[in-house]
Amino acid sequence: MGRTNHPATGEMANVTVVIDRVSMSYKVRSNKSDRSKSTVLKRVLRRTDNRVAINALNELSLIVTHGESVGVIGRNGSGKSTLVRLISGQTQPTKGAVYASNTPIMLGVNAALIPELAGEQNIVLGCLAMGMPRSEIDRKMNSIVELSGLDSAIYLPMKSYSSGMSSRLRFAIAASIDPEILLIDEALNTGDAQFRDRSKERMDELREKAGTVFLVSHSLGTIREMCSRVVWLDKGDLLMDGDPEEVCSAYKAFTWHLTKGHHPYAERLRSEARAKLVATEVWDRLPGRRSA
Amino acid sequence: MTGKRTDLPGPAQTISLPVDTRGLVRVGARPPLLEYLVKIWDHRAFVFYDAKARVQTGNRKDRLGSAWMILNPIFNGLTFYLIFGLLLQTGRGIENFLGYLIVGVFLFQFSSRSIMGGSKSIRSNLALIQAFEFPRAALLLSVNIREMIAIVPVLLTMLVLVLALPPEETVSWLWFFLIPVVALQAVFNLGVGLLLARLVSQIADVANLLSFAMRLWMYGSAVFFSYERFIGNEVLLSIVQWNPMFQVLDIARDCILYETVPDLRSWLILSIWALGALVIGLIYFWRGEETYGKD
Repeated sequence: MGRTNHPATGEMANVTVVIDRVSMSYKVRSNKSDRSKSTVLKRVLRRTDNRVAINALNELSLIVTHGESVGVIGRNGSGKSTLVRLISGQTQPTKGAVYASNTPIMLGVNAALIPELAGEQNIVLGCLAMGMPRSEIDRKMNSIVELSGLDSAIYLPMKSYSSGMSSRLRFAIAASIDPEILLIDEALNTGDAQFRDRSKERMDELREKAGTVFLVSHSLGTIREMCSRVVWLDKGDLLMDGDPEEVCSAYKAFTWHLTKGHHPYAERLRSEARAKLVATEVWDRLPGRRSA
Repeated sequence: MTGKRTDLPGPAQTISLPVDTRGLVRVGARPPLLEYLVKIWDHRAFVFYDAKARVQTGNRKDRLGSAWMILNPIFNGLTFYLIFGLLLQTGRGIENFLGYLIVGVFLFQFSSRSIMGGSKSIRSNLALIQAFEFPRAALLLSVNIREMIAIVPVLLTMLVLVLALPPEETVSWLWFFLIPVVALQAVFNLGVGLLLARLVSQIADVANLLSFAMRLWMYGSAVFFSYERFIGNEVLLSIVQWNPMFQVLDIARDCILYETVPDLRSWLILSIWALGALVIGLIYFWRGEETYGKD
């Protein structure tokens, strides 16, 4: 029981994001290995294999069109944030590729940009880096400062900011541009109640203007309210992709049984969801496009 | 999550959908070289703002602030003068050794600061790189423009010192040659910086070797001794003369101290180095564009 609104015949129009057979794995060094075996020479030559592969995301394809708001749900470590980072271009996939009609803008909060510079200078620099003309920056400066809630601290170097302050500034800079493709990772979004209200207001505004939205959230309420399509990921696998009501209630049942300790039953729900999945794949009209 | 996949059934069905991929661009893809250069040009406001902002805040921690830009080479020169000029007397036989030393130390500092700064520019701007999408070479350009802004007062101080300290020098039209020399030097710095920035971003260990390489380069560039006195071997001498920094100092000293029109050969060697470094550095850096700031 998958989505039926995309017939398999006829070319899809208005596609804004294509996630084409993307998978992500990385190798990390494990501490568990036998130390005596690894000599400096072997380390330099990368011969010691105490590195463990972690699959953050197994092969996955998604096609998203203009006007869709895609919610991404799943437990911790399910690959939600990885997926959004792949779409934003912050990480390159191990295999496959992500195509977009426009530069996706990520609304998350990171660390300070340039710690030595004042908040105000960081705003100008960040906006210039996104390609905004100077006149527009000057025009938007007041609203950016207001959104960040930093007041006169905006003239202090960013290294003097608390982590909350710098993440607010970072958010305000990213939110100053009206992107066509908007990525929101709510897991990162912290801050006091006052800032949450202000940022929510701005996010709603951006969401209305944006053509395509990806929203990662742990709040099923938010997802139901805002999304037209929901994707459920678990341990790096796509389990469901479809109507928000349907996916959210399946996910809710799954987590409820998990917290009650009914692991075998939860596993069954998981398998059932996957067995019903109608996955999509890109049938490329332009061969050679994927070579990169 | 590690190793073996959990036994998950495959999807019920996989539909292949034809997608019109025209108008779609791979996210984070490296554009062709020409397009890349256009993108850098489009980010010129970013480059200049970044350079300007960091010049102003560069020395804010120190009480004497920007004065260190000038005090640094002066103290450096003083140290070299004490050790090499007074103790070891490497300056014997050099006409106006004090001026010779000042030109060497001040101009070498320009290259070492630009190249060291450039090589670190990917690592020290990770937050910026991960937050926004812009051509990363803009960061290198900004570092080098920052150093070019900073070199102006340093050069003026150098000229004032040459005039103020004995023996007396006269201002001549040859002094204007300092401008093209420093310009070529700056192009060379940018090229080497681009090359090293990618190397350091991929192999962090290179950064450790760099300060040694810089010192070796300084000793090989006749900053505080005369090469003629120490190098008898013809082959070694011609190697030293192919050193771009040696040519920078030689031209600058000819113009400022010795009122000699610099050799055409010196200009040629320096130009080849500058343009060669820029072209190779740019292409090498551009080819790694997609790897910067990725984990």
